[in-house]
Amino acid sequence: MEAWARGVRGLLLDISGVLYDSGGSGGGVPIAGSAEAVRKIKASGLKLRFCTNETQATREKFVKKLQGLGFDISVAEVTAPAPAACRLLKERGLRPHLLVHDDLVPEFAEIDKTNPNCVVVGDAAENFSYANVNEAFRVLIGLEKPVLISLGRGRYYKETDGLKLDVGAYMKALEYACDVEAEVVGKPAKAFFESALAEMGVPPQEAIMIGDDIVSDVGGAQQCGMRAVQVRTGKYRPCDENHPQVKPDAYVNNLAEAVDVILSQL
Amino acid sequence: MAARRALKAVLVDLSGTLHVEDSAVPGAQEALKRLRSAPVTIRFVTNTTKECKRDLLERLTKLGFDIAENEIFTSLTAARNLLEQKQVRPLLLVDDKALPDFTGIVTEDPNAVVVGLAPEHFHYEMMNKAFRLILDGAPLIAIHKARYFKKKNGLALGPGPFVTGLEYATDTKATVVGKPEKTFFLEALRGTSCAPEEAVMIGDDCRDDVGGAQNAGMRGILVRTGKYRPGDEDKINPSPYLTCESFPEAVEHILGHML
Repeated sequence: MEAWARGVRGLLLDISGVLYDSGGSGGGVPIAGSAEAVRKIKASGLKLRFCTNETQATREKFVKKLQGLGFDISVAEVTAPAPAACRLLKERGLRPHLLVHDDLVPEFAEIDKTNPNCVVVGDAAENFSYANVNEAFRVLIGLEKPVLISLGRGRYYKETDGLKLDVGAYMKALEYACDVEAEVVGKPAKAFFESALAEMGVPPQEAIMIGDDIVSDVGGAQQCGMRAVQVRTGKYRPCDENHPQVKPDAYVNNLAEAVDVILSQL
Repeated sequence: MAARRALKAVLVDLSGTLHVEDSAVPGAQEALKRLRSAPVTIRFVTNTTKECKRDLLERLTKLGFDIAENEIFTSLTAARNLLEQKQVRPLLLVDDKALPDFTGIVTEDPNAVVVGLAPEHFHYEMMNKAFRLILDGAPLIAIHKARYFKKKNGLALGPGPFVTGLEYATDTKATVVGKPEKTFFLEALRGTSCAPEEAVMIGDDCRDDVGGAQNAGMRGILVRTGKYRPGDEDKINPSPYLTCESFPEAVEHILGHML
């Protein structure tokens, strides 16, 4: 029954929906048992990395927020889209027009943003005003060779006051408007998971991804050869139990349950 | 060759067919009078997301056309009809100027979403409201899915991209009610007791007017006014039932050959 939890050397953990639910005046609410689960993983000798599509703030900022909520986490343990996007932009000589949350902008401090030749869209939340989306559209449609880079492609995520549109919806809007296809940096892109595994130093067959997004977290991780577990917290909805394409290696109620099972198999 | 059913209804496009901007197509007012002498039901049809029937009627009356408000059928009307059929209460993401066409429709505690061209409503908070309703099962109705349009100071996003984003986030498909959708043409005939095979559409947009109408089972007459460009008639298959100079010539053909 717990065969899925054997032969594991490292865990990739999603953050939003697994460790905590974001939103509200305090920045978020921890999910019961998650902070303790992280501590148990670290005490067990298993390797650990946080693999997130968080783009509403710099790594420093959201790690600080999570530490404030009681989590043992550091920036060095996090794989996030903005730094991956910066590497890509530098490699290809791309200068971005940013349609992102204000708090993410510092991640692009070293990037030349003059005379943009591409658009980078992230989870901009309130910054997804008509005017801002229109401005990004005008930049794209004006380019001879439109390049749209999307930090993730999630449909929605859970905040304390309910579900909210994620970057994927706006990525699709711009794709439709300009008749282009976006390049995704972040889950579920294979390169993103592979870089997280490389930084952790564990091959996919010996790693398990734990997430709340059945497509971006679970499906994406499985496509890299990892096992992946779906939690019933965060953005999980009962219809995820019957997803037409993705079959998680296990469904668990929450991170705490997943970790207890994994540790019992060591 | 199967016998043609008698013509019982004529659909007439407005902009580009009866008038171009603020000028009537020469001879159109007189041609409409002549068409009214025939035993056909007439409907004036147009895609619009922000002109209510009253405003359209005012414009046409000023140009000398004798038209009744209930003869006008727009994409907004099509949306309204769909709401009434489904008996749902809409969250209306439409221009304020379009609201008069939804008078009488209950909008409290919405369980449907209607999206027109309404930049003032396409901000994150409202989009989330629409998203949550649709995720919970509310039907998404799109007046049309235009990608963008031209404004004086540049291009501006139409409703299409926002509808697409909502479709993706909710994993649903919008019902699009404007031309060239089949629904539009079938709805225009509702209440006329005419079948599509008994109707003809006159318009200047080969794809949206003529192609759309013929796809719904009607015959289509393409006029060479408005946005017509030489060669347009070759762009649809089957080609238009007839291509002629303008609305007056279309009416002459109908009176002479189709009754």
